[in-house]
This record gives sequence, C-alpha cells and structure tokens, in this order.
Amino acid sequence: MKRTTFVSSALSVAFLGGNASRALAQVAAGAPSLPSFAAGVDPDNVLVVIQMGGGNDGLNTIVPWSDDGYHRARPAIHFAENQVLKLNDRIGFNPALKGLNELYQRGRVALVQGVGYPSPNRSHFEATQIWETASPDRPQQYGWLGRYLDRRFSAGAKPASLFEAVSLGDALPAALVASHVEVPAIGALSAFGYNTGRDLASKQSAGVLYDGAKPGQSPYLTLVAQTARDAYHGGDVLRKQTAEFTNKVTYPPNGFAQQLALAAKLIGSSAGSKIVFASLGSFDTHAGQRAQQDRLLGYLGDGLLAFYQDLAAHGLDEKVLTLTFSEFGRRVAQNASNGTDHGTAMPLFVVGGRVKGGIYGEHPSLTDLDHGDLKFSTDFRAVYATVIEKWLGRDPRDVIGGAYPSLAFV
Amino acid sequence: MLPPKLDTSTDPQVGFRPPGTLDAASALQPYAGPFGPRQGGHLLRRAGFGGSEADVTRTVSLGVGGAVDSLLHPTAPEPAFPEFPDVALLYDRAKARVSTQLWWLDRMLRTNRPLHEKMTLFWHGHFATAVQKVQPPAMAGQINLFRAFALGRFPALLSAVTRDPAMLIWLDNRANAKAHPNENYAREVMELFALGLGNYTEDDVKEAARAFTGWTIDKDQRAAFVPARHDDGIKTVLGKSGRLDADDVVAIVVSQPVHQRFIARKLLEFFVYSDPEPELTESVAQVYALSGFDLAKTVGTILRSKMFFSSRAYRAIPKSPIEFAIGTLRYVGAETVPPNLVYQLARMGQEPLNPPSVKGWDGGPAWINTSTLLARFNFVNGLIAQTAPGKNGQAAVPAPNAAPDDLVRRSGMDAGRVAAAIVRGVVQDDVTSDVRATLTAYLNSQTPSAATQNPQPFGPENYQDKIRGALALTLNLPVNQLD
Repeated sequence: MKRTTFVSSALSVAFLGGNASRALAQVAAGAPSLPSFAAGVDPDNVLVVIQMGGGNDGLNTIVPWSDDGYHRARPAIHFAENQVLKLNDRIGFNPALKGLNELYQRGRVALVQGVGYPSPNRSHFEATQIWETASPDRPQQYGWLGRYLDRRFSAGAKPASLFEAVSLGDALPAALVASHVEVPAIGALSAFGYNTGRDLASKQSAGVLYDGAKPGQSPYLTLVAQTARDAYHGGDVLRKQTAEFTNKVTYPPNGFAQQLALAAKLIGSSAGSKIVFASLGSFDTHAGQRAQQDRLLGYLGDGLLAFYQDLAAHGLDEKVLTLTFSEFGRRVAQNASNGTDHGTAMPLFVVGGRVKGGIYGEHPSLTDLDHGDLKFSTDFRAVYATVIEKWLGRDPRDVIGGAYPSLAFV
Repeated sequence: MLPPKLDTSTDPQVGFRPPGTLDAASALQPYAGPFGPRQGGHLLRRAGFGGSEADVTRTVSLGVGGAVDSLLHPTAPEPAFPEFPDVALLYDRAKARVSTQLWWLDRMLRTNRPLHEKMTLFWHGHFATAVQKVQPPAMAGQINLFRAFALGRFPALLSAVTRDPAMLIWLDNRANAKAHPNENYAREVMELFALGLGNYTEDDVKEAARAFTGWTIDKDQRAAFVPARHDDGIKTVLGKSGRLDADDVVAIVVSQPVHQRFIARKLLEFFVYSDPEPELTESVAQVYALSGFDLAKTVGTILRSKMFFSSRAYRAIPKSPIEFAIGTLRYVGAETVPPNLVYQLARMGQEPLNPPSVKGWDGGPAWINTSTLLARFNFVNGLIAQTAPGKNGQAAVPAPNAAPDDLVRRSGMDAGRVAAAIVRGVVQDDVTSDVRATLTAYLNSQTPSAATQNPQPFGPENYQDKIRGALALTLNLPVNQLD
C-alpha cells in the first residue's frame, strides 16, 4: 500500500468513523470484502452482554441533578445533588452505582446516553425482542448475537469449544438464537450435566449408550446421537475446564454476581467462551422504585467491579468488553405509587480494559419530549454495530442490517 | 407463466430430508403392508402423543384403515375436561399463566381424541400467539378455537382466527381502523399463515389490512366489528378488486395455488418428514384443494399413505419437547402431569403458550442441542428413575412401581428378558443388540458402595429401582428422541 493511501485510510478512521472509513479503505485498497477479522481486532476478544430486564429507569441511573425539571417531575423518588456521584456539573451516578463509578473514574466505563430507536415499543416482550433481534420494524427469527455467530462460523465451521457462546440462565435469550451455532444455556454449573442422582451405574450405562450410538439412516439420528454425546460429556468437560480457573476476588453473594463469577471462569479457562449473556431482572419499578432499583443497581455496579478486578488479576481485563442493555427506560414523571411507568430512551454502559472511558451522546432533554417521553439520540443498533465491527471484527451490515454510524467508545 | 413458488430459504428443516428416493406416483396410495407394533407406534406418535404398550396393541388390532379412522373420527367419550382453567387461578395473575399451560398439557395427556389435540398443537405453532402479550383467558379461548376447527376446513379456521380476541390482541388488529390502519395481522396472514414470503406484494398487505379494519375487541375482551372503524372502499388484493372485507381476503388468499402448497408442505413437515420433495408437496396440495381445503380429508390421506408408512418417514423427525414429555407420561400411564412440567418444557425449548416469536417454533434440528437434550434426559431421570426426590410433584407421577411389577410379571426375574421387553415396549426394538446388552449389564450391575443407589444386582430386592433406571436409559436413547 502506498504511503498516501495509508494516510488517508488512517485519517478516515479518525474522522469519519467506521462505515465511512471502511468504504474509503476498501476503495483505496481495491479490496472487495473484509477479511474475517478486521485488522487490529484480536480474535480472542470476548463480549459479555448484560440484560437489565424489566426496563431500567435511566433518569435515576444517570441523574440529571442540575436540572430543576428532574426534581419537579420526581418529588418522592429523586436524588438530591449531594447524593449523586457526580460525573460533571450536570449529571451523576445513582449512589448505588459506586462500584461502577470506581471503574468510571479509572477510565474503564463508557456511558452512552439517550439510547433508543424510532417509534419505541413499550411492551416488555416486544421491546425485548426488538433489542435482542436488533429489529424494531418486525420480529426476526435469529438474535443479533446469533446472527453474528452464524456468520463467524459459516459454511459448517464449528466453534473449537462447545462453550464458545453461552447463556447464563435456564433459557436461551432471543439474542443468542442462531441458525446453526449451538449456544448452551447454563443455569448453574452443577445443573449442567446428566443427572442420575446416586445411581452411578445408570450414569455409567448412559455413557456407554451415548458413546456407542451409531449414526443411522435419518440425518436426525446422526444429529441426536452426536449432540447426546456432547451433552452427556459436556457437563463434566465444563466442570473440569472451569476448575482450571480460580476467581481471585470475592464476588458479592447475589445471583447476578455469581453469574459473573462463572462468566470469568468460562472466559479464563479452556472453556474459552467468547460470547457470554448474563441477566439481572426486576427493573420493572412501577411502585416503590427507590428501594428496588437502588438494590439492583448496587448488584450491577458491585458485580461489574468484582468482575473487572477478577479479570484484571488474571490479565484478562483488556480481552473483555461488557455491554449492558434494557428493553426500555421509563417515563420522566413518577407515578402515584412512587414508581415510574414504561418509557423510552435510556443510558447503557460499556465496560472494559480497552474501552475509551467517558460520556458519549447527550443526556436526553427533560423539556423537549415526545408525548412526555425522552427522545433518543443514539440508535441502539449503532452501539451493536460498533461492537460487531470494532470489537468482534465483522462487517456490522451483515449482522445488524443497514449502516449505522460507528461510535468511538472502543 | 410458472406457478408461484414457495420460498423455503428460511426453513430450518431444509437439509434434513431423509435419504432415498421418493416414488411420487405411489406416494399417496393407501398403504397395505404389514401393520404391527412398529407401524402402530409410528401412527400413534405422529397422529397423537404416543401411548402405552396397550395403546399400541389396541391400535394394531384395528388395522391401518380402522386405526386412522378411529383417530379422525374418534367415538370414545372424552373425560370431563374443564372448558377453561380454574377461574380462581385464571384471574390470579401469579397463577394464571402456569395453570392455563397445565390445563392444556393435562388435556394432551388424557384426551381420547389425540389427533385433534395434536392438530390443536399444530395450529398453536402455526398461528403462534404468546402469553407474553396475551392474557391467559384469551390464550385458553384461542386453544379451544384451534381444537374446534382442528380438522375442519382451513378457510373457516382462518376466518375464526381473524375474529379471535387473542389474535386481535397479538397482532394488533384491534388497533386496525380506517383512520389509522395497522398492517401487522394482514402481513402475517400473507407471510406466515397462508402464503409464505415472496408470494404477495407490499401493496397486497396494505390493501388486505384495509379489509381487516373494524375487527377489534370490546371492553369485555370479546371480538367486535365496529362498522365506523371499517374501511369499506374498493381494495385490490392479489389481483382481486372490490369492497373487500375480512372473509373476502380469506377466500382470495386460500384460492392461491401457492397457499395450497404452503399448507401441504407444513403438514408434511409436521406429519411425515423434513423438507419434502416439491412433487410430494404438490400431490398433497392437490388433495387439499380438491377436498375444498378439508383438513380431515387431507390429513387422513397422508396418514393412510404408503409414503407415511415408508422407511423414509420412520423415525425421521425429532419429537418436539411436548411430544417427548407427553409421550413419556402416556407411555408410563401417568394420570396427571407433574406441576413442574411447564418449567421442564421451557428448558427443553418448548414452553406451551409461549412460542419464541410470531414464527412459532423452528422445529426440526432446532429442537436438538446439548441444553435441550440434557433437559429431556434429566426430566426422564427425575420422573422415572426418581433421582430428584422431593422435587415438587415428581414423586406422585406415575405410580412408580406399576411398570416394573408388570415387566417382571411378563418376563420373569430375568435381566436379559426384562431388558428385551423394555426395548420392545419403549422403542419397538429400533436398536442394535449392544443396547440390550448394555441395559442387561446395568440391571445386573453391582456397585458396592454405600453412597450409591441400587448396589445389588437384579433380583427380588431391587428389581423395581433397577427397572426404573433401565426404563429411563431407554427413554433417553437417541432413537427415542425421534418420532
């Protein structure tokens, strides 16, 4: 490549963002398509996605403490100036997010404000589907992470590990539904396995039967026999692999933090997980919001801090990017039950050793509203596209559909 | 002009067609070959939810024609099923959902009209509506609707679904009015319910949506037609123009040749095998069209056919989790469903009344992954081998020692003969001899450790536990995951 071309590509990266820069770079290089991994993207990068289920109230997460309108709209549930963990002269963290604030102060947290999409949906189910399939217009069969995996492992390629992508819960979230890449749902390490209780002979016999199963005429029998073998041994493999990794910090004693402790094991051991989906629920705070949301945000912030510290102690903090989302934010004004009802735009967090910490996007205006709801300024698909392109090294148009401006948080 | 084609590019079952060649000319001719336990078991699994060994024996005794007739036109009286779940539970927000799900699962287990219930499940997957958005009373009403129209004529079913409160809520037709059309329902009628992608235009969707305006729900959640909300202007849908209303659109849609192939292919994938050949689909489409869209006649033709009883169709598709769970319960003669069955089914990948999207369950290969298979295996281990004592509801279902006592009565206290009887009963001998040997070895195994269950070899002291263990192993065989 000629030096002048190189300079123009490099400049475009700096000033035009991802999609424009790639277009220019391709023109410059005459390249018809992207390689599997974009230059500069580590194929070992790990993405952890955290669902804040129920619709997290953004205004009491990132508090616009200097805005009188905020205090007026929420007389019973607002945070006073002296309570918030100030980020600048306008906004601050909910005090329960002290763990996240600690990471923020170290430059490890990108706060993306005002995230949403046009014509927002206020149904939990439908809005969750929209976020998880990255498709506001109509539902999709496969999730955004599922589509990424299908493209990452196309044409019959199989991940090296059964645990390449995992969901830390009993059910597979829509985000991870893929066409041909299998994603195990691991509710608990102890439950992921062929369980015959105390009948050890039965367990041994099952192993003999699955190991000896022969492929048959039906392509399904071949599939079932192979999968049954993987399933039977998978639990033991997983327990053995994750035992290689010892958490070096003590995680808080709540279910969410324990999910993150398992996530660290999956990432840091030979299980080698690259996509991990964890969730923290009950953000649907229609009544008595303060106690409930503060407790959950405490779980979130403290859990993320422990997770980061654990990864850092293993030298993995720069390998892992953690992204939060929730199906919607909540309304500006509190309701009669000291809660808030379903709303629209909200902030999300990107955490990691290679995240460019700081504040991205504007805090939504409390006066320029859409039917009483916050207007979004950043489309959530731009956040996904940025992660797909800059962290996972794939063409986001293949995964998200359409082109979205790349953000600079990574 | 070439006839319109089905777009199968997003069908996950493509690639899972059984090997071998279709004899298209004879495929739908009536089957007249042997009708033993293998064929009887096959018919009971596909056209119902399987059954006990006695059920298979009874089916075989009817002969193929009599067996299919008894499924299509059952005469046995039904148990007294409640028309709706217990009202006290139905309107209790915390319990309504699971009680409605169990209300339906119980019916699948105990009904004497298994084909009607199987078709009810088929339509639930086809018109996939979820309790995530629709309240349980309306979901129960929709299931009753599917059952009432299960084997009737498709246009009548589609007309009824158009007026179904659950569907009016699910796809937003309740908000579809002349002043502000909502295309959601019209689009899915074309894409998912009747035609398939690529066989209509965006204009067809818009125009059909106008025809569906006016149908909404009243304050009591009943379907209502509000003339003031209806657009009675001229519309053009798939080339037909007029002051079309909802039933006109239904009639236009079902008259499309591509609709006939669309339904034929879905029925074949449900009843026969994945990714059926276009010639086979075409043959069934013709039967469907000539019958006047009569589902009993179409399904009856499929169930009586040579192709249905061919080796290519045998054990050729995976059981859905509901088929697997209800089939297991029916096999062991359970009289009720375990209260935790809904949770178990969710882990297996098929929570009833909660399909994952408007497209329903993908089925086929999507049923099979390590998590869902482990959920199946551990369901069986907990239920049959009772390895999870104390779990809610698992101890009572079924009577734990009925099957072991019966097996020993028939086969004697002989591990080899018992193993053979289990394999014959559960999977109609569809295994290689090493499976019988492994089961016999398990029955005879001695694990002299205080920490283990069943330390002694097979004998009067412990045959019940051992046989339950062997039954679980057999139910968990790969071949038993296939229908």
